[in-house]
Amino acid sequence: MLDIEFNQVSKKYLIRKPSAQDGGSRWRNLLRRRADFWAVRNVSFAVERGEALGIIGHNGAGKSTILKLLSSITAPTSGEIVVDGRLAALIEIGSGFHPELTGRENVYLNGVLLGMRRREITAKLKSIVEFAGVEQFIDTPVKHYSSGMYLRLGFSIAAHLDPEILLLDEVLAVGDAAFQAKCLDRVTELRRAGTTIVFISHNLHAVSRLCERTLLLNRGEVLMDGPTNEAIAEYERILFHLTPSAPHGDPIIAKPQDAEIVSLTFQDSSNRQTNSFRTGDSLRAVVQYEVTKAIEDAVIEVYFYSIFGNLHCHFSTGTEGPPLTLSPGTGVVEFFCPEVALEAATFNVDVGIKRRGSRASEFVDCKRAAVLNVTIGKTVAGAFHMPHSWSLGQTNSALVGEPLDADLKLARLN
Amino acid sequence: MPADTTLQDAPSLPTSRRRKLVMRAPKFSFANLLNDLRKLVRYRDLLYTLSVHRIKVRYKQSILGVSWAIIQPLAMVVILTVIFSFIVRMPSEGLPYALFAYVALLPWNYLSTSLTSSTNGLVSHAHLITKVYFPREILPLTYVVAALFDFLIASTVVVALLIYYRVPFTLNILYVLPIMVILTLFIIAAALVLSAAQVRFRDVGVAVPVALQVWMFASPVLYPLTAVPARLQAVYQLNPMAGIIESLRRVVLHGAAPDITALSVSASISVALLVVSYCYFKRIESTMADVV
Repeated sequence: MLDIEFNQVSKKYLIRKPSAQDGGSRWRNLLRRRADFWAVRNVSFAVERGEALGIIGHNGAGKSTILKLLSSITAPTSGEIVVDGRLAALIEIGSGFHPELTGRENVYLNGVLLGMRRREITAKLKSIVEFAGVEQFIDTPVKHYSSGMYLRLGFSIAAHLDPEILLLDEVLAVGDAAFQAKCLDRVTELRRAGTTIVFISHNLHAVSRLCERTLLLNRGEVLMDGPTNEAIAEYERILFHLTPSAPHGDPIIAKPQDAEIVSLTFQDSSNRQTNSFRTGDSLRAVVQYEVTKAIEDAVIEVYFYSIFGNLHCHFSTGTEGPPLTLSPGTGVVEFFCPEVALEAATFNVDVGIKRRGSRASEFVDCKRAAVLNVTIGKTVAGAFHMPHSWSLGQTNSALVGEPLDADLKLARLN
Repeated sequence: MPADTTLQDAPSLPTSRRRKLVMRAPKFSFANLLNDLRKLVRYRDLLYTLSVHRIKVRYKQSILGVSWAIIQPLAMVVILTVIFSFIVRMPSEGLPYALFAYVALLPWNYLSTSLTSSTNGLVSHAHLITKVYFPREILPLTYVVAALFDFLIASTVVVALLIYYRVPFTLNILYVLPIMVILTLFIIAAALVLSAAQVRFRDVGVAVPVALQVWMFASPVLYPLTAVPARLQAVYQLNPMAGIIESLRRVVLHGAAPDITALSVSASISVALLVVSYCYFKRIESTMADVV
């Protein structure tokens, strides 16, 4: 039995062409030619009842358009979409909240916005409030809520919709760890109960955990529809091809005459250049720079950002070792990491050169110098892999187990 | 993992209770129209909740609260009475000017508050429109409901004025109900068109207050219908508000029956307008999230 069907669906947006010079005749601006933009083109797929489908792809590949089409926020330009069952979209939790209203009033407001009946909400109110953990504040205006409480309440309402089809966006990426765990628990619970799930995400790891089948989109078209691991592998292949290892971002250079990043490359254990690593692999980051004027007490840093812009960790020449003086000319600095601790995800990598103690990268700050792709290697439960070993001890001995030889290199990585 | 509060699993509903939804490119058909209305009925709780919320937010944190709904038209009447019965003499069909003007100002305020606020109703909720689906007509409708609420509060003053000036009540006053229904249908039709047009052309929001001012002077709010020259009467009566206000005065102040023919004409016009404007609204709605 099919819960969702996309038959040759296309969606066209009209984009106003920017005129050569703004101003001019207002009337001419109004008549200005518009360009067609096909956000989704001839997309067909179907989702079985109880199935979890992942949708991945670059920004602008058409993921959010599909989400909007599925939740009937916007109508397709051509084609047909069939949705069979009560559908709930967990998109931008809490967007329907009104700050002046109390938590209770907002539960009703948000609930009816999502299509619930008032008596349904009344029946579930206690459970919603308990799940969100905001019992004490339920009659306080939500403007006084912390952002965590806000998110929890929003998720709790949506989770109580008892949907037959659940649309998930990047929502699981917000909130603290406990909240995320709770969300995932609830989603898994719904999944076990037979809810059909469509999960749209950049977090390849999360997709692979939740979905057995994945759709890979590229420029509004379905590039691949198959088992999640194959789709992810294909996505990584494209990603790797699209990403040159030389800096291609916009270097924001404070003193362009002083320094420049020539390239940033990654090498695996066999010194092969690659952008794809598995958790637990060893990694060598090679930064090539050019300096025109000597920089004393310099610090070279490599930053790893999640695609949501959160800094996950960084390499720095400033954490240990003697002060570094960069003399004019080109040079190379290598960072070696014996075990990549990052979870499976895609990271944007920035490079910067600064003077010790200064906060900003004053000489060169190269945004998006490279993309690092981490895939599933050593199992990661949680945000990162912490290198560890283990041994068996006697329960009746004074020492319960030997002190574990935990490698704290992680502290340096973070 | 915290397992403190878990939910009961969603009971798997029998297939027959599932609602099949088919989405295609917007195209007018009678079946679609019926479907849209059914959806609106299904979302009636949203209409109720949002309207209550609209009223609550308006009067929250104000000391006088709901009494503002009375103070506003009352202040207007005081000013007008001073001008039109002490400074200039305005004919008022032999009635106290305050009463004469207030009975017309109320429906007028209902119209003008509804239209000015609902015109922006969709644009100001862009954050919702791009995130969640619900029948969009609910947004402009809530502003009409809120204005109707104000109207009802303010009309208690009419009763007080009628008793004070010893205007006799007759059964004809019951005609107020059908007249108000016609007025409401007309307002909803206008609100739907204006709010949808505002999404595409922001000029609408600027033009509406100006148009309302002109319109007010072209309606028998401050002066009686009889003050309009006879040769202009035919054209003047094309304004639907002229007939509605005149009918209200007749049934409330003069205890007479309204002109039934005129009333049924405006009723059919309002219903026809409503159908057309609803279709237009639904047409715009399908791609509203892309442009709002």
